[in-house]
Amino acid sequence: MSKAGSLYVEGNSFFHRLDGAVKLILLLVWTGVTFLFLDLRVFAVMLAAGVGMLLLARIPVRRMALLFWVLMVFTLINSIFILIITPRFGSSLTGSNTPLIPVGYDTINGETLFYVLTLSAKYLTLLPITMLFIFTTHPSRFAASLNKLGIPYKMAYAVSIAFRYIPDLTQEFKNILNAMQMRGLGISRGDGNLWRRMKNLSLVVVPLLQSSLQHIESVSNAMDLRGFGTGAKRTWYMGTRMSRSDKLVLLLCVLLLGGAILMKGLWVEKFWYPFL
Amino acid sequence: MQPVISFRNFSFRYKSQTQPTLKNIDLDIAPGEKIWIAGPSGSGKSTLAHCINGLIPFSYGGEVSGGLYINGEEMTELGIFERSSSVGTILQNPDAQFVGQTVGEDVAFQMENEQVPQSEMKARVITALELVGMLDYEGQGPQDLSGGQKQSVSLAGVLSTQGDILLFDEPLANLDPASGVRAMQLIQDIHRRGETTVIIIEHRVEDVLAQPIDRIVVMNEGEIAAVGSPETLLREGLLPRYGLRQPLYLNALGYAGVGISGLTGLGTPEGVQVSPEDDAGNGDIAGNGDHSVKEGIRSRLEAWTSSVHHDPATAVGRNAGAPLLELRQVSFAYGPGSDAVSGVTLSIHEGERVALLGSNGAGKSTLSGLITGILKPRSGKIAFRGEDLSRWSIRQRGAEIGYVMQNPNHMITQHMIRDEIGLGLMARGVPSSELERRTDEALRICGLYPYRNWPVSGLSFGQKKRLTIASILALEPKLMILDEPTAGQDYRHYTEFMDFIDGLADLGMAFLFITHDMHLALEYADRAVVMAEGRVIAADRVAPILSDSGVTSKARLRETSLSRFAKSWGLSSPASFVQAFIDAEKKVKRADE
Repeated sequence: MSKAGSLYVEGNSFFHRLDGAVKLILLLVWTGVTFLFLDLRVFAVMLAAGVGMLLLARIPVRRMALLFWVLMVFTLINSIFILIITPRFGSSLTGSNTPLIPVGYDTINGETLFYVLTLSAKYLTLLPITMLFIFTTHPSRFAASLNKLGIPYKMAYAVSIAFRYIPDLTQEFKNILNAMQMRGLGISRGDGNLWRRMKNLSLVVVPLLQSSLQHIESVSNAMDLRGFGTGAKRTWYMGTRMSRSDKLVLLLCVLLLGGAILMKGLWVEKFWYPFL
Repeated sequence: MQPVISFRNFSFRYKSQTQPTLKNIDLDIAPGEKIWIAGPSGSGKSTLAHCINGLIPFSYGGEVSGGLYINGEEMTELGIFERSSSVGTILQNPDAQFVGQTVGEDVAFQMENEQVPQSEMKARVITALELVGMLDYEGQGPQDLSGGQKQSVSLAGVLSTQGDILLFDEPLANLDPASGVRAMQLIQDIHRRGETTVIIIEHRVEDVLAQPIDRIVVMNEGEIAAVGSPETLLREGLLPRYGLRQPLYLNALGYAGVGISGLTGLGTPEGVQVSPEDDAGNGDIAGNGDHSVKEGIRSRLEAWTSSVHHDPATAVGRNAGAPLLELRQVSFAYGPGSDAVSGVTLSIHEGERVALLGSNGAGKSTLSGLITGILKPRSGKIAFRGEDLSRWSIRQRGAEIGYVMQNPNHMITQHMIRDEIGLGLMARGVPSSELERRTDEALRICGLYPYRNWPVSGLSFGQKKRLTIASILALEPKLMILDEPTAGQDYRHYTEFMDFIDGLADLGMAFLFITHDMHLALEYADRAVVMAEGRVIAADRVAPILSDSGVTSKARLRETSLSRFAKSWGLSSPASFVQAFIDAEKKVKRADE
């Protein structure tokens, strides 16, 4: 995380310039389309397109690594659980049964294995677009564009304010914890058993809450004094106008969603299984 | 001329209180005036400010009587929005009021709310930032700025709007001395440039007086106690009467027996002059022969300096004990790049009080982190009573070195006072009889014994501060690190608290004060260690350090007004003059006891 608390990575790619709200819509449409299908072919195409876009954004690989591994681990655990708990689940989708790997109490069949593969591809399909959204969207421009989409500005600004004060509160938390640690109320191994340490951690809540409330009072005073919330509308210093490429991407989103729904309607099979 | 702000028999009582906080206020402020509202904590000066900017009644409800007119309009008829467009407020906490994610956004915040079109907004942001000298930082976030810079950004924010009244609610509270001086200069520049009316609420007397002020309004117990020019109020000695501290050089003149009735320009140390009408030689000091009055005062001051300074009874040093904490060539860096602390060597002896001085970012907090074990040095050695600390855990160090945070609310976790003190002892497995004994002792030493069964919420800020000291004291450390121990307290609370600390030092506790408050260092520390850019640039007795303009300017501190006064009057040794003042203060304090 950067010092400012957001995950935004400075850059000037096509996606950096793209309106934050448009990117949010792209993410939502992408997610929606992904959930319409259970078809490895669709996911392969979408994944390839997603990775292509991600490459265009030129986000440093090490910034993305953490998120990538988190999702990989999640997908892996998810797959293992499906295989162990319902080794023949795939049959309920295809109506066939091809026993493959015996696991003692049951046998994992080929259908389930392929189902797990498809499911993993589905999750993976979401990753590039999610990354694109969180790494290339500047938090303050995002608030402005949310407002432009019709979200009330007070709600949109809450997003911005959260980004602004999270680092302050993190620092406060660390300071309080350090002072507690010096009194012997720390959370490291030397400070007692796990129960004791959890209890010590909970002690931090009182002063942290105190200081947050104080902080909130000052912030809301500062905002009131500068006229926040008095008008029905507000303008945005960081606001951008919809460019032609923003509109183009919006159009593509609509086409993608429409196309997907059409495809879904024409296709009878729910789960694509080529080995039938 | 019609006053911009006019209070007419105005009173205010907070909803939650039975007594009014403001009583029968009558005050007219003329357009273009520069007013300083002074007074002890609880005198109602912040409440007065809230009435002007509209936080009362919009955020803090209560009962209003009498009239308050802003630009001739009755305040109850104005919403907070109309109010904010004529009164711009700069608050105390530079972090909390920085609501934008970048400098530009923060300056534009009010204009955004006033629905100024973006192109006009951009132009006005640039103009405002240029005025306060912050244009180069337009795209930076608050985490890249110092406290003083954030304060300048807030100022640019109110300047970019049409407001003609600027209200500063303790603008210097979080700034180091050099930034404070700069902020006051900036306020003065803005004031001189336009028709702006400026109202400043502030504790730091000398810093405010460094720039011209039209009138001082002294508040006391919810009423206006005095109104007048700085010259008049200083001459009449009104500030000390209401729990405010007058400039130190005026105290020094008093100790030396020099009357101030024949002097003018009392507001600044460099400005003090003999009044023209007194220069003829009718003063009681230099009525004889061809010595001018000025020469007479000068020799009186010289004589006083040498008489006090060589009084052996007052020249007590506390650094006689064995070394307690020693740092040898300690360096530390947060990441690759320059060191946050570099080659620091210093020592604190038993029972000694050392002030660690320096501006924000000089490395003071990093150094205290290294001492307490939160950070590990990259190189160098830290020893406690000769024993290497590198193997000690934070917890072990905590038994010998206590650390007290600036804000007591950040340390207190328990509902009851006794529990708070016992908490650390319990965590260390101290048996209950011993725990009770130590808790009682800490309560007694800190003067909290009568409140031992109270809930924490019943205590005042100063008492909470003592409670945090008591909770550390119960652990029986040998050294206590106090982070900005007096920040935000008025003179009376400040003196009370520091005298209490002084009493603990007499019992043998060593103290390290981390501060940029030079009065504190001057009066309560045996030695000062000055840091700048991660290095120790001076370590000596306090008087010579704070009289050395080279050291103070490099550390973004300020040479004490005593020394600047001494230089302006051409005294032979400014440092001795400062020392004489410290010794004289101690003598007075002892006489009081």
